[in-house]
Amino acid sequence: MLTRLSLMAALALGTATTALAQDATPKDGGTFVFTAPYGNSITSLDITATPHTQDEIVGKALNRSLYKWNPDSGKPELDLAESVEKSADGKTYTYKLRDATFHNGDKLDADDVVWSYNRLADPKKALPGAEQMLQIEGVAEFQDGKADHISGVKKIDDKTVAITVINLADPGWNLMSNYAPIYSKDYPEDQLASKPNGLGPFKLANYVPGSKVELVKFDDYYEQGKPHLAKLDIMLMGEAAARDVAFRNGEIDANVLGPVQYEAYTQDAALKDHILEVAEVYTRNIGFNPKIEAFKDKRVRQAINYAINSDLIIQKLLKNKAYPAVSWLPTSSPAFDKDAKPYAYDPDKAKALLKEAGYETGLKFSVTATDNESWGLPIVEAIIPMLAKVGVEVTTDPVDGSVLSDKILSDNFDSYIWSNSSGPDPLKYLNCFHSGTSQTACNYVKFANADFDKLLDAAGNETDPAKQNDLLRQANNLLQEEAPVWFFNYNKAVMAYQPWVHGLKPNAMELAIQDYEDIWIDDTAPAGRK
Amino acid sequence: MGLRFNFVLGLVLVVLVLLGALLAGHLAPFDPIMDADLMSSELPPDWEHWMGTDGQGRDVFSRVLYGARVSLTVGLVSQLINSVIGTALGVSAGYFGGWWDDLVNGLTNVMLAIPSLVFALAIMAVLGPGLPSLLIALGLTNWSWTCRIARSSTLSLKSQGFVQAAKTAGFGDLNIMRTQILPNILGPVLVIATLGIGGAVLSEAALSFLGVGIRPPQPSWGNMLSDARELIRTAPWAAIFPGLAIFATVLGFNLLGDGLRDMLDPHMRTQRA
Amino acid sequence: MMRFILRRTLQMIPTMLAVILIIFVIFSVVPGSFITSLMAEGRNATNAQVLSHLNEQFGLDQPLLVRLWNYLWGLAHFDLGISYRTREPVWNVIEPRLWPSIKLALSAMGFAAVVGIPLGFLAALKPGSIFDSGTMVVAVSGLSLPEFWFGLLLMYVFALTLGWLPSFGYQPGSIRHIILPAIALGVSPMALLARTTRAGVLDVMNADFVRTARAKGLAEPRLVRSHVARNVLVLILTTMGLQIGALMGQAIVVEKLFSWPGIGSLLVDSVSVRDIPVVQGAVLVIVLWFLVINMLVDVAYALIDPRIKVG
Repeated sequence: MLTRLSLMAALALGTATTALAQDATPKDGGTFVFTAPYGNSITSLDITATPHTQDEIVGKALNRSLYKWNPDSGKPELDLAESVEKSADGKTYTYKLRDATFHNGDKLDADDVVWSYNRLADPKKALPGAEQMLQIEGVAEFQDGKADHISGVKKIDDKTVAITVINLADPGWNLMSNYAPIYSKDYPEDQLASKPNGLGPFKLANYVPGSKVELVKFDDYYEQGKPHLAKLDIMLMGEAAARDVAFRNGEIDANVLGPVQYEAYTQDAALKDHILEVAEVYTRNIGFNPKIEAFKDKRVRQAINYAINSDLIIQKLLKNKAYPAVSWLPTSSPAFDKDAKPYAYDPDKAKALLKEAGYETGLKFSVTATDNESWGLPIVEAIIPMLAKVGVEVTTDPVDGSVLSDKILSDNFDSYIWSNSSGPDPLKYLNCFHSGTSQTACNYVKFANADFDKLLDAAGNETDPAKQNDLLRQANNLLQEEAPVWFFNYNKAVMAYQPWVHGLKPNAMELAIQDYEDIWIDDTAPAGRK
Repeated sequence: MGLRFNFVLGLVLVVLVLLGALLAGHLAPFDPIMDADLMSSELPPDWEHWMGTDGQGRDVFSRVLYGARVSLTVGLVSQLINSVIGTALGVSAGYFGGWWDDLVNGLTNVMLAIPSLVFALAIMAVLGPGLPSLLIALGLTNWSWTCRIARSSTLSLKSQGFVQAAKTAGFGDLNIMRTQILPNILGPVLVIATLGIGGAVLSEAALSFLGVGIRPPQPSWGNMLSDARELIRTAPWAAIFPGLAIFATVLGFNLLGDGLRDMLDPHMRTQRA
Repeated sequence: MMRFILRRTLQMIPTMLAVILIIFVIFSVVPGSFITSLMAEGRNATNAQVLSHLNEQFGLDQPLLVRLWNYLWGLAHFDLGISYRTREPVWNVIEPRLWPSIKLALSAMGFAAVVGIPLGFLAALKPGSIFDSGTMVVAVSGLSLPEFWFGLLLMYVFALTLGWLPSFGYQPGSIRHIILPAIALGVSPMALLARTTRAGVLDVMNADFVRTARAKGLAEPRLVRSHVARNVLVLILTTMGLQIGALMGQAIVVEKLFSWPGIGSLLVDSVSVRDIPVVQGAVLVIVLWFLVINMLVDVAYALIDPRIKVG
């Protein structure tokens, strides 16, 4: 069994490139108009029922979990618990819960934690948040129908809970998830989707499905003096061009930017000083299916990496809103090799490799792609002429997001272009290339390499963080050499905000997820906001 | 009387677009797909690139010309399919009557009730993006008006002397429909098809906006427009020219259709709102 | 009259059944599923085994015919099923979208009528003139614009450059928010109305009873008011009715562009995540709206022009 170790502590993820104006004293009151940019609607106000970032943007305001992610330190920290004690074997954690109040006035107690986690893990409910419970002892049995509750979560007294996990990894990485919040056990479950009742800093005031979520300050929020805002409006706006107009028009206070607008905003004197950038932990790539005979040959996969001018695509199409990918792990990962260089643009070498492999002509494949501007059809359109120059013919297979994952999981593709999580935990994400990992889990390219497996197994069993990190770095470098995918880029997330907005954080996990309780607006805000 | 000027304007626009599409191979200075140099992306119009270049560094003028092929194919073929289906169903329903008439009538009502864009969106979801799917999606969803007109014309023709005479003379049903009825309803069907071409070109653009149009990198006006919508501030030419091409083409077919209608049958003017 | 309405209502049932069947068949062969849509973001390797329990929960493990039967059985009890996405009854998902949709359709039609009908009348008064032909080119132009292109232009001009109107969003009771989407959606029915009005007026002007009146020396303006207007009204009403009925489904693009929370944007979202029960429900609502409006038009038709017999 692979284990995740404390090397996570060495992670420094927050790499803000723009300093935020951290004025001394936050001002209370006012309205912040935020946007949820990943669609024109949200799935549900019950965050446990959905795995989508779009919903998390709202859920983050309504709910609290046992732990929370600290974007500045790059680590999970306690949220609903005041303190925790670890048992001698390192597997049982005993939490002392805070005094916290739900929006309906209920007080947080140990039963709520036990009930919430059991509900999440309940196979009959099939909640996506169950993912976060899998590390807890007894969840596997519960999921398989061999038990009727989780054996690893126990109430000690009203304010104390003990959680037993199956490995030595810090459970904070799972339990900090915004998809695994604590709900009140006494609140009717069928109300959660329409009238949420959480522990978060804001409570629901008005929800117009398909348009916006209006939230107001929750006065009994457990953190003293927070939140600062009186009102938080979240607009559901999927259309980037429309968001651009709305932001410039002052109708919204923050806007997640695509490449074109990133370039335009950084060149605009009035906008360029209020842009927040962060290196997110996603790797954009084209995965090659070894079902295609040519892709079994390492030289062909390498040749494609050499034949594409990634820098030019990043510069011209992504407008530098990305970092060229070297291998799988992003630059912020501790196991990232600072000396490693990305594949150079070298069409001659590509041609030579293809010739050597016997594919001087005649190699033809399709790329299954969504219409995403940073990891979809526009990128494929750009590589078509580049690969044509080395004698490779590429066609497009345009699909919806739901069909993309369907085709990949059912092994029905030549290659695909996608954006995948590659952090913060290097062991977890490199493990996606272990031959023991199935295609339906996350080894989408069915990568199987004995040397790579050996390195990862060794890393999983290594207790010394430095040695483990070294093994992971070697594995990551081997992955680059083997090129199971075209390494395209690591995302740079960018958010523009109005000058009167303060307290936004460069969250490397997902920039659109903000700690709303820390946001405030100053006196320069227009009258409608104050 | 009438709008002879508008008819001529429509004819000129349509002929220009048709010529552009047919001669794209000769007129286009660049290859619409392979001549993509990212180093020269988003260039404004100049002597080399009359309509500038798009985000991929491709010549917008060449892509507008080649896009005309796709957009016109979508318009013409889908309307051809619609006309054939509509005429066949309408004429046979009107001619035979009975349960077949009821069935066709019911089906027409269903097709009228489901908005064609909704229907096309559903079909595209099943078939996936691409030209063939688009032809099917737009060809199967817009025949109800043709069907209605074909049916009502057939009903009134059926009672007239020459059809009765042909029947008495022992001509077969198929023969009568082909020789006696069909020639008399071709006019109205042609008008509806002409007006429908514009609608199909617009539907292609709408479906591209919704993410289910022609497969890139093949250019169509719809996907050019959809791709360029974010460039409207930084490289407006990439959005303006395909937009104008759609506008001119649809306007052309609409004016042409209106004119044809006035010429063929002044009484038909009000039939199709 | 009541018998007419009752009969028309009963006639809707087979149409609705056919619509249900068509949508059901289409979406039973659609690639991708609600479960794969949950994994579409490519993040955190969402666990396929955990999600597989969803199939049982939604009854997707049952044979197709059983599912169809269950759906129809539910429908007979006015139950549209449960949304895969929100896990709420489908009606709860659709209901909040109805009023915004209807409001947008009516406003678009309002714009179309206010601009289109006078335009058509004016053009018809001097048929064949430059004014006539110019008016018609303008009107037909409205039929020739890609909606999202036109909508974006409106946004840039009226929201960003001039700052007169908000660029997006829905505010219950706010007229300012509805203006741009209504215009974007309304140009095409505007053009149709102008064209129909012009044609209708010309037809009536050439009709015998008007010629007679003219021969009797009735002044032109009065002629227009009394005879022509009433006779054209029926035609305009029919066109408007058909258009209002169709607008709810046509609004997809405009709703998506302006973040308008109507049925159309719900439909697109539901198709993309394969929330089939909501797709079914939304299509049914759109179709029902069309059928009911058409029936109302026929009723109004009979009220305005007693010569037309209904029933």
